[in-house]
Amino acid sequence: MFRKILIANRGEIACRVIKTARKMGIQTVAVYSEADARALHVEMADEAVCIGPAPARDSYLRAEKILEACRKTGAEAVHPGYGFLSENEAFAELLEANGIVFIGPKPAAIAAMGDKIASKKLAQQAGVNTIPGYTDPVASADAAVAIAREIGYPVMIKASAGGGGKGLRVARNDDECREGFESCRNEARNAFGDDRVFIEKFVEEPRHIEIQVLGDAHGNIVYLFERECSIQRRHQKVVEEAPSPFVTPEMRRAMGEQAVALARAVGYQSAGTVEFVVGKDRSFYFLEMNTRLQVEHPVTEMITGLDLVEQMIRVAAGEPLSMRQEDLAIRGWAIECRINAEDPFRGFLPSTGRLVTFQPPEEVPGAVRVDTGVYEGGEISMHYDSMIAKLITHGATRDEAIARMQEALDGFVIRGIASNIPFQAALMQHPRFRAGRLTTAFIAEEFPDGFSADAVPHEDPLLLKLICAALTYREEARAGGMRPGRPAGAWYEVAASQNAAARGTLRPYAAPRQYVVFDERDEARRAEAVKAGEDPRAATYGTSAEVEALTPNRYAVRSGERSVEIDFDPNWRFGLIRLTVTVADEKLVLQVEREGAWYRVHHRGSQLRALVLPAHAAPLYAHMPVKEAPDLSKYLLSPMPGLLREVAVAVGQAVKAGERLVVIEAMKMENILRAERDGVVKAIHAAPGASLAVDEIILEFE
Amino acid sequence: MQAILEQLEAKRQQALLGGGEKRIAAQHKKGKLTARERLTLLLDPGSFEEWDMFKEHRCTDFGMDAEHVPGDGVVTGYGTIHGRLVFVFSQDFTVYGGSLSEAHAEKICKIMDQAMKVGAPVIGLNDSGGARIQEGVASLGGYAEVFQRNVLASGVIPQISLIMGPCAGGAVYSPAMTDFIFMVKDTSYMFVTGPDVVKTVTHEEVTAEELGGAVTHTTKSGVADAAFENDIEALLQLRRFFDFLPLNNREKAPVRTTQDDPERRDDSLDTLVPENPNQPYDMKELIVKVVDEGDFFELQPDYAKNIIIGFGRINGQTVGVVANQPMVLAGCLDIKSSIKAARFVRFCDAFHIPIVTFVDVPGFLPGTAQEYGGIIKHGAKLLFAYAEATVPKVTVITRKAYGGAYDVMASKHLRGDVNLAWPTAEIAVMGPKGAVEIIFRSEKNDPERIAAREAEYKAKFANPFVAAHRGFIDDVIMPHATRARISRALAMLETKVLENPWRKHNTMPL
Repeated sequence: MFRKILIANRGEIACRVIKTARKMGIQTVAVYSEADARALHVEMADEAVCIGPAPARDSYLRAEKILEACRKTGAEAVHPGYGFLSENEAFAELLEANGIVFIGPKPAAIAAMGDKIASKKLAQQAGVNTIPGYTDPVASADAAVAIAREIGYPVMIKASAGGGGKGLRVARNDDECREGFESCRNEARNAFGDDRVFIEKFVEEPRHIEIQVLGDAHGNIVYLFERECSIQRRHQKVVEEAPSPFVTPEMRRAMGEQAVALARAVGYQSAGTVEFVVGKDRSFYFLEMNTRLQVEHPVTEMITGLDLVEQMIRVAAGEPLSMRQEDLAIRGWAIECRINAEDPFRGFLPSTGRLVTFQPPEEVPGAVRVDTGVYEGGEISMHYDSMIAKLITHGATRDEAIARMQEALDGFVIRGIASNIPFQAALMQHPRFRAGRLTTAFIAEEFPDGFSADAVPHEDPLLLKLICAALTYREEARAGGMRPGRPAGAWYEVAASQNAAARGTLRPYAAPRQYVVFDERDEARRAEAVKAGEDPRAATYGTSAEVEALTPNRYAVRSGERSVEIDFDPNWRFGLIRLTVTVADEKLVLQVEREGAWYRVHHRGSQLRALVLPAHAAPLYAHMPVKEAPDLSKYLLSPMPGLLREVAVAVGQAVKAGERLVVIEAMKMENILRAERDGVVKAIHAAPGASLAVDEIILEFE
Repeated sequence: MQAILEQLEAKRQQALLGGGEKRIAAQHKKGKLTARERLTLLLDPGSFEEWDMFKEHRCTDFGMDAEHVPGDGVVTGYGTIHGRLVFVFSQDFTVYGGSLSEAHAEKICKIMDQAMKVGAPVIGLNDSGGARIQEGVASLGGYAEVFQRNVLASGVIPQISLIMGPCAGGAVYSPAMTDFIFMVKDTSYMFVTGPDVVKTVTHEEVTAEELGGAVTHTTKSGVADAAFENDIEALLQLRRFFDFLPLNNREKAPVRTTQDDPERRDDSLDTLVPENPNQPYDMKELIVKVVDEGDFFELQPDYAKNIIIGFGRINGQTVGVVANQPMVLAGCLDIKSSIKAARFVRFCDAFHIPIVTFVDVPGFLPGTAQEYGGIIKHGAKLLFAYAEATVPKVTVITRKAYGGAYDVMASKHLRGDVNLAWPTAEIAVMGPKGAVEIIFRSEKNDPERIAAREAEYKAKFANPFVAAHRGFIDDVIMPHATRARISRALAMLETKVLENPWRKHNTMPL
């Protein structure tokens, strides 16, 4: 076995590999870019070597720098993680030539599978089902259109070296084909240094199901069943699970055997994934083989009990597999949610900056697992992928795994940057997801207009309001119990003058027990009344709540017919965002914050803003002025921090809805902002090259 | 007897209605509550003891003798907030537009005098059209009586003003002399001369909101300490604010029990200061992570943002926090920020509230605007305030503490009790670049040598050790231990005795 390995990656996967290496008694070397000097993987590793500036092409993609780091530290093997150099055969060769073991498949296998065109041919030869397509690089946009017409729209335009959702476009007509070809080629050139692009038939309503394989140097290959990764947003996987709710035992076996056949055909030794697109008639076609560890490998680990990184290291060290196909079985169900630094309420735009608060839910062996490469106080840089953590839960059944995931998401506190947690919470409770009726178009179909707070109505907003009432009671009761200040004066005089302290409390304050809780719906109703020309004071607002403290942490709250007993977690205190309460034997994990006089409560992806007034003050609420939000519709605001790449319009220009206005680059991705409606550009407030803050004004319309 | 009781009841009913139902409806229509409704929100239920409900004006001119409303446009008395005594007056816009008559002023003076005798704060809810013109100079006299009391009460009992409607002309000077001014957005304004006069004299066209609304005074003039959305939110937040303050200058602020461990460690603070010394970071994060429960009541959050002031608690005890904000003007001190912080430091000192200062200051802001504006004298205010303060002073230098600004920010030399520094602290006369350009002026044209000199200077001074060697810094602490170290320092300082020499008063550079 190796004494020391180097991990040629960053973020959660580097940390995850280090954990396994440590468990195996292997020393670890991290490599890092200048932007990652304070990253978690650097902290966790036994040694760390800086390999260059922030951009990946100057650091994590520099093979010779990594080789140098191996030499310097005496690392005997390199685990490449995923992305970066993980599927770069030249890198694997370079290591091999220098006597360093690449923890992954042999260069020939990477080469054979890394090129999507070649791999498809190979798969066909190995008897694997494939889908129709054009298997040579496409030379120009015109050629792309010609080919697309031949295959028939819709088509998928793919970068040969692409992966992980980068360098992928779907085109449904000639215009989209042209635009997709150009942008795909540009992205591929920038991200992978390889601008070859090809086109294939796009299977509609497909499921993405993949088979995990594992081979050794002795010709043994097994498949570790499937993962379903159909929940994707713009071809980026969002939720993965194992097993698939769609796959039958016969299908599993057929897919597994084809995957093994392909692996065998290329002499595959290590962990790899054969991706299939699955039609609703349960037909499946080979998509590609990923010759690396996948992001979503933990769901396979949870249902098989295997540590795939450990297996990869053992195989790389020449050990034979310790299991045979017949030893393997699926235990329970596992789900993974990718936690991304992106704002679901702003079209999922990347969010960068300091992680002011990062409190993942507690890990529970065999039930809740958190893989992350960030920590509270860390920086989310624009240079790398937006995925900051993976939340994995396991249960005996799919329902149990989902329930655990919901609770884990509820308790995941991230502040300072936006995260997709509310969206993940919405997915977990979506009836179609619960029913397992998935396709890769799930998100596009179920959230056609993007994601908004309205998409996740809370099933019991009253309960949240009652909890707010209990919180207010708790706060008021404490305020009434303040100790009067000590008399001020020299310490030697204080003892003699106790009178001031004695008078401190004139009249003991008993926290009110009757409250009325108002929320944004009340505000909205008032605004509607004003709009309709009615007197908003004619209606009644708010929800009454009567609070009684039964014990220091247990409150009875009544509201009309509803009566609940709310148990606060005794470890909770004011100021902690995560609040666990138990109501009628059911555990609720909430996130609660104070915003001036209001509370903001997060639960199950929905938010509630509540104002709790003592009952005697509540009738006055109706008199408060109804205020309209300032009109920002005439402005184009930057939805994220980033670099203004391009301004496609000029002052005085008339634009049509959907027309491209500006391009912002953030997190390696080009984001095109389009006109929401027809209009005329009045002023341009930012020049290309400017770095933009969130909500900074870019354009103004007339 | 029965007749008297009936008469009393009739008068009480009349007083409770103020200017009558029509005017109350008009007040509500503007989104404003009545004087009495406001008091029910501000005070603990059932705690209000009203005085002078039957007081009436004595004016006989301009038909005023025919018109009498009991209470004369202001509701006064005392009550409690979370059980703690407070005197209040609440002007009633429904009665003569809340205008101040001699009798109205006498009511305010009465509760102020009583508050001074028993040592309890005064909260004024201002909603007044100004002087009672019909009374002429008697009304002006009334204002001056209030002003005089504001001044005598200053530093003895906390005085808080909440502007909930108009407050114009001479009327502004009473709130101006209280310790804190809060405003309600869209429904309150303050100015010395209104839009009409402004237009006549200077030909400027300006609305009342632009001239003296809550946004103007919390962003441009710095007159107000905070603005709230509406009456209800303002009054609820005022209750919260009141809990931070002591009742008078003979006792300390109340202690609120907390389960937030005073020794709580926060590892995320270890990465708060960026590697690049020129990159900003948000000082508010440090404040929020250090104080109890993240509960920080910031004052003047939108004015002179290069310095942060406000109240928090450490281990239940109120502290005043002053901190440079590197996010704005790199945290430089300028005229506005110096005045903002100086006033706050003096309030804390007057009321035994310990001052916790977080320092990251590259110096005073250079430029003609600053010099012509008198930064010399205004900057001196903050220096003066820190230097004269005898309350416990705990200072943490997080990064830059350069030049005169280092001295100003509660340094050891200004009787700082506990002066701590993070390992990232750079305590020096100026930044390496500027220093090298002066010391090695002759090598100015040799970039290589200058770079070497810079590196040398940086190695020597861009750290906390030079200051620590001299004892200007008591200890170098890890950022994650900041709360624990401040907490222990404050506990140690609980019985601090320090007195300034006897004098009538000092001659601070106003």
